[in-house]
Amino acid sequence: MKSVLADGCILKLQNFEGPFDLLFYLIEKNKMEIYDIQINEITDQYMDYLFAMQELDLEIASEFLLVASTLLHIKSRLLLPKENEKQEEEMDPREQLILRLVEYRKFKEFAGSLKNREEEWVGVFYKLPEPVQLDEPEEVLLDLCPIKLKESYINVLSEFKEKMNDPSQKMNKIIEHEKVSLKAKMKDILNMLKIKAKVYFSEVFNLKANSRLEIATGFLGMLELVKLKKAYIEQENAFDEILIKTAGDFTLEFEEQNDYKEEVV
Amino acid sequence: MDLKVIEGIVEAVLFASGDSVSLEKLSVVTEIDKKTLKLIIDNMSISYNKASRGLMIRELDGSYQLCTKKEYGQYISMLYTSRKKQGLSQPALETLAIIAYKQPVTRAEIEKIRGVNPDGVLLKLLEKNLIMEAGRSDVPGKPKLYGTTEEFLRSFGFRSIKDLPMLEMNEIESVVAELPVD
Repeated sequence: MKSVLADGCILKLQNFEGPFDLLFYLIEKNKMEIYDIQINEITDQYMDYLFAMQELDLEIASEFLLVASTLLHIKSRLLLPKENEKQEEEMDPREQLILRLVEYRKFKEFAGSLKNREEEWVGVFYKLPEPVQLDEPEEVLLDLCPIKLKESYINVLSEFKEKMNDPSQKMNKIIEHEKVSLKAKMKDILNMLKIKAKVYFSEVFNLKANSRLEIATGFLGMLELVKLKKAYIEQENAFDEILIKTAGDFTLEFEEQNDYKEEVV
Repeated sequence: MDLKVIEGIVEAVLFASGDSVSLEKLSVVTEIDKKTLKLIIDNMSISYNKASRGLMIRELDGSYQLCTKKEYGQYISMLYTSRKKQGLSQPALETLAIIAYKQPVTRAEIEKIRGVNPDGVLLKLLEKNLIMEAGRSDVPGKPKLYGTTEEFLRSFGFRSIKDLPMLEMNEIESVVAELPVD
């Protein structure tokens, strides 16, 4: 069915927020009174819109169909001759529709006045709360003096000298691939445990004497020893020193387990 | 306490707070009973009305907030690179209108009036802090109820919900009664 309206309303179609929005548009366009809707005309035009939407392959939301069926229902009732007066007892569907339209119009109008108010009040500015925290005393920095600051600065400098970007030390050697084996590190730990029954991890490996790779491998070696039940470890709190304790067994049998031998990190 | 001092306290507290401050809190701070304090603040509002003042005191649901006057907004905007605030869309305004009058109201009631699924719009309004969840209805399924926020009053220039213009509901009933008989 080719709709006459199809061409005319293409642009308008998507703008309807819902079936009532469309109904209102039709009522206003036909200059009808909301309480005196000519159901025939409105129903035909409403259906025309739905057909137009169909032609344009727009998905017609179910809510549009619901109102369409209501309109058709009312129209058919008006066309049929009245059988008896009993019908008066049930609610006139037209009355229901008008009630809903009137209620919708009421909110639509108020929405319009909200829009004006929104524009009117948009130029009012507020201030963010002051970040006042009166009850929290400021942290008192005790025992601080310029000498201490200098000391800690020197400490930091010496500790992280290697890390610092010092161009004078750059490119004085070609970086070689460091060969660190897990097996060697495990032996290092066991050798230390032979001398001392308890030893801190930092005594065996630390940044002063070892590279990062060595320390990391040493850590894995320590875990390996624990797994092989050749050592026990203790750490009281997170980030505390790790204490390695001997299990009295200093042998390492790698001959059967090739995977340790090959493993060069 | 001197009246001038009380006015000074109220002004200082409202400035520092930035946010709205309830009459109760102001009453505790100033040690003045609420009724008297309200009169004092009303009086302050009148003196703020003078053109020489750029600020005003707004009443929001029993709280007070300091803000700039509407008529000076254009000058403030000149300070900033213009980024025009996007107003609410038509569906959002309609939904907000329904919630404002019918609150607390369920999603289903909103849908019935507009004839459209309001979920997306509700999310947007919640995001903008214009509406809030206001408990659950007692009907089966215990659906959420929605109501407006202080931000709603602030954005649309209302003092409280009672400030909303009356909508003529009676008009509808009388008209329906006069429906012409076919």
